[in-house]
Amino acid sequence: MEYILHILIFMGIYGIAAASFNLLIGYAGLFSLAHAAFFGVGAYSSALLTLRLDWPPLAAAAAGMAIAAILSSVVALPSLRVSGDYLVVTSFGIQVLLYTVFLNWTGLTRGAMGLPGIPPASLLGLQVTGHLGYVVLTLAALAFTVWVLRRVVLSPFGRVLKGIREDEVAVEALGKHVYRFKVLAFVVAGSLASLGGSLFAHYVSFIDPYSFTLDESVFLLGSVIVGGTATLRGPFVGAVILVGIPELLRFVGLPQNVAATVRQMLFGALLVVFMRFRPQGICGEQA
Amino acid sequence: MGVILEARDVSKAFGGLRAVNGASVAFAARQITSIIGPNGAGKTTLFNLLTGFVAPDAGRIVFEDTDITGWPPYRVAIKGLARSFQDLRVLTQMTVLENLCLARPNQAGEQLLANFFSGRRVRKQEAAERERALEALEFIRLREKADEPAHRLSYGQQKLLVIARLVAMDAEVMMLDEPTAGLDPSMIERVSDAIRRLVELGKTVVLVEHNLDVVRALSEEVVFMNEGRVLEVGPPARVLSDRDLINVYLGLSA
Amino acid sequence: MALLLQLLANGLVAGSSWAMVALGFGLIFRVTGTFHFAHGSVYAAAGYLAYSGVADLGLPWGIAFPLAAIGAVLLGCSIEVWIYRPLRRLEAPPLALLVSSLGVAVFLNNLLGLVWSYQSRNLPTAAGTGYVLGPVDLSSFQVATVAVGLVVTIGLIIYMKYSSLGLTMRALANTPFMARIVGIPAERVTVLTFAVGSLLAAPAGILTMLDTGVLPDMGTPAVLMATIAVFVGGIASLPGAALAAGLLGLLVNVGIWQWSARWQNAIAFSLLLLFMVCRPRGLFGLKQRQVKV
Repeated sequence: MEYILHILIFMGIYGIAAASFNLLIGYAGLFSLAHAAFFGVGAYSSALLTLRLDWPPLAAAAAGMAIAAILSSVVALPSLRVSGDYLVVTSFGIQVLLYTVFLNWTGLTRGAMGLPGIPPASLLGLQVTGHLGYVVLTLAALAFTVWVLRRVVLSPFGRVLKGIREDEVAVEALGKHVYRFKVLAFVVAGSLASLGGSLFAHYVSFIDPYSFTLDESVFLLGSVIVGGTATLRGPFVGAVILVGIPELLRFVGLPQNVAATVRQMLFGALLVVFMRFRPQGICGEQA
Repeated sequence: MGVILEARDVSKAFGGLRAVNGASVAFAARQITSIIGPNGAGKTTLFNLLTGFVAPDAGRIVFEDTDITGWPPYRVAIKGLARSFQDLRVLTQMTVLENLCLARPNQAGEQLLANFFSGRRVRKQEAAERERALEALEFIRLREKADEPAHRLSYGQQKLLVIARLVAMDAEVMMLDEPTAGLDPSMIERVSDAIRRLVELGKTVVLVEHNLDVVRALSEEVVFMNEGRVLEVGPPARVLSDRDLINVYLGLSA
Repeated sequence: MALLLQLLANGLVAGSSWAMVALGFGLIFRVTGTFHFAHGSVYAAAGYLAYSGVADLGLPWGIAFPLAAIGAVLLGCSIEVWIYRPLRRLEAPPLALLVSSLGVAVFLNNLLGLVWSYQSRNLPTAAGTGYVLGPVDLSSFQVATVAVGLVVTIGLIIYMKYSSLGLTMRALANTPFMARIVGIPAERVTVLTFAVGSLLAAPAGILTMLDTGVLPDMGTPAVLMATIAVFVGGIASLPGAALAAGLLGLLVNVGIWQWSARWQNAIAFSLLLLFMVCRPRGLFGLKQRQVKV
């Protein structure tokens, strides 16, 4: 039972990260590879502020979101260029850069040794412990995320993003400052990913850089693609599937290290297969 | 009628090619002006220069007595100078009405935070903008298509939609890039009619056109361009019967 | 001073290796418009195939290495034919190619790890008689890397300029629409471009295997460096990409002098970010019109 709750919590946490990623890829058409790094920014900010400076977890999470917001606008800089390839390259670099910082700024992050003993989350003085507690907390964070994303996507702001995804020149000609919209999309997406990361840090209570690599960005990408871009439900469905499948693999009985490799191969294959045969994802409509 | 838009001695070169070479032209308010000339004359480049899509190497663009040289396109559009594209650029993944709602200026809902802190005000304004958008749709007499996905419109209807977008933008000066290209006569008449009615609304219209019948029927003034320069400006009767210019247009002389 | 010279020499070696990967990546990107993430996997595969040819099949180097190169070419072409081409035929948006490329890269990198495990693979034979040039110490493989890199770069530039395939590739790169109208067999040229590009990465993979050993995920940093080199050098310029790769190698290694080796990615990326902001067309690129209207 605890095991099932654990899986559900993970599905929720990665669902938050995937849903925020979908704002960029699915709604705004901005291909960023840096999303796992923002997830990491939230995780490390919460971990360090609660562990070293005794900050209340909510404040630490908020600080993480602020840092992620600032860094997101840096990633957004190259989106001034119309060609999306510049954005891919720069976001790729930012992902690697942040990972390098997590790994090598050992004075701050203890590098590969990671940060153990992260205090549990607490809201208004009440500590969250046990799986059930975290399920509730995750659901609350999920609800917040969905609320924010719905507000953004169903608004005139969201309509402009949809336009940018299809033809940003046309949108610019209609008098919209496309760059501003792109930067804001990045800021919202990055902040929400950071929130997911903060939750992750408190739940697993030990983090190391290896949870925030390019592999994780690919995992999030997979969740969005499989679930369906440009739908609100899609990323959650995708996260459920992509968290669920490796767990099912467990029952096949592969040795531990092989399992991790096979899991990654599966994600890679899923991306290719879906792009070829069902690009709109499970929840998406045929374009 | 005063001059509302002016290009003063503008030049633009792409690599070794001088697309626009010291062109000067003034557009009078509240009338229809057509820009004509052989292919490669620099008409589209001039369009791009006037609307901010390309920055001139030299010269100035003045709109409503403001120097807008080097302004980015969105800023030019907000100021009231809007353009259409030869390849339409209709947003096919939205409905017709959404295309027009998108074009509405000054929407509070496009400020991200307004959606969280002044939700009610945004919703009220959205309803008002929707009405304005429907009026723009009414202008091109396609109100019944409001909720159709834009890609389901015929080519001619999309060309009308592009004009409706400019109306929805509340633009003062509307620059249309080949608005009747590829249309059958009945559709050409519908588009021409819409353009005439734009001026009745008090708008200024500048056209790039190859269809000389349309030019003759609609324009009060014709600007003839060749090789990046303005060769002649005048009423269509004069410009279109100038033997020398006709030869240039047909490529019979330099 | 001696240390600096050694670092410069090391930088030249690293840069030469990255140049070969960057040339292949840049060629494919420029001619076919594909952001071929999986190019790193092809590079790594070349090294692994060479390793197995010698260590598992007992082939002499003279046979194993060319076979490995052929294997890399086949892999690269297969990816184009089975993954990218169907998407292009469906007129899929560029996002689809990017995502697929990423998927293929992840799949292949992990496959390499599955087949060959995660230990570094290296040929235990002569670790290469060293060359000593004054204070600089280089293994023969390192010297070979620089030499091969130079030959490959110059060879490619000549090939692109004078051969008919080179001309055809350039036509496809500059005006893809017109090229098709004129009757250039775009799909065939695309596969050939992938073949040439993969062939360019093969020596780099093999030499890396000889010098420091191969690891399954060595493709990722290689692609990152290639990407940075191509964009800093200017997408339109292949010599620019090679030069930028060389500069990158020098910069990163000299950077080790001041900061630790762990920060080399950060240094490389900072260079990229600098260019993105200040000179987006790169060192030799053409001034691109910001908006295609």
